[in-house]
Amino acid sequence: MNIEYLFIVIAIMSAATFATRLPPFVLFSGRGQHPLLQFIAKYTPPMVMTILVVYMLKSVDYLSAEGFYAAIALIVTIGTHLWRRNALLSIVAGTVTFMALVQGWF
Amino acid sequence: MIRAALKTTLPIFFGYLPLGIAFGLLFQELGYPWYFATLMGICIYAGAAQFMAVGLLAAGAGFVEIAIATFFLNSRHIFYGLALLNSFGDWGLRKLYLIFGLTDEVYSLMSTIEVPEGADKPQFYFLMTIFSQSYWILGCTLGAWAGTKLVFNTQGMEFAATALFTVLLIEQWIKVRKPLPFIIALIASAIALLLFAQHMLLFAISLSLIIMMLLRVTNQKVRDEY
Repeated sequence: MNIEYLFIVIAIMSAATFATRLPPFVLFSGRGQHPLLQFIAKYTPPMVMTILVVYMLKSVDYLSAEGFYAAIALIVTIGTHLWRRNALLSIVAGTVTFMALVQGWF
Repeated sequence: MIRAALKTTLPIFFGYLPLGIAFGLLFQELGYPWYFATLMGICIYAGAAQFMAVGLLAAGAGFVEIAIATFFLNSRHIFYGLALLNSFGDWGLRKLYLIFGLTDEVYSLMSTIEVPEGADKPQFYFLMTIFSQSYWILGCTLGAWAGTKLVFNTQGMEFAATALFTVLLIEQWIKVRKPLPFIIALIASAIALLLFAQHMLLFAISLSLIIMMLLRVTNQKVRDEY
């Protein structure tokens, strides 16, 4: 346990993290209307969202019961969302389903 | 507006609380006082990086190594800023805080949802960001402070992040209604999983963006439609 070391590590990691979030705003400030940047702005979100879903699902162990639970919770999430299109409701429904299955509430 | 921002970020609460607690639990095993977990949630505010920090701290890693590892782990955030260039105005210090707080979850929400009718956009974004970070700080603190004494079983709650991204993916589909970006992202994800499973996010996002731009340059049909 070395408090000084911890302080420096926290400072470095804070700076390094901020350094990954800041550059676009500095490099392209005022040039947001450029057609290529608008193209990127429009199509990054659907691609990132697809990739994030794949990323979240890749850590699931599909040979165990967890894979089955995740599939059911996913169906509940999607089904609820197509039914009511209420983001919060869909997320809560899916999460509660997954928690109930994993923790064995039944 | 506070209510609307709370409601919008509630899914992030369900995602950040258990994840923050998990981080806090890991962190307290290092033997540092609990409030350093709070400090990390305030200053660093990056989930994956903080988990990595526990390992680096335990190993007593060098400062340069820590700086490089953190930068690369979080480098996907560069693309998030690109997508939000036009969404953020010249809002001074508030804008700086929005940039600081641009996590996967906050970016996903901001790039998908519309600001409620009548709400002040900078203020709404600011509230979204500060609420989200508060949930994260709360989780980190609870995990490190209460440790194993927690009575509430949060096992499985982390599914909230998957559910959030799934819902936002459906919303993106409703918004875009063209298959190409989704297909490209799926292919890029598959390649990234096969080749660079460790840095899947960064690799898949870069690759899909490169493919999308190449198609736009080389293919007349893509240029017309997208």
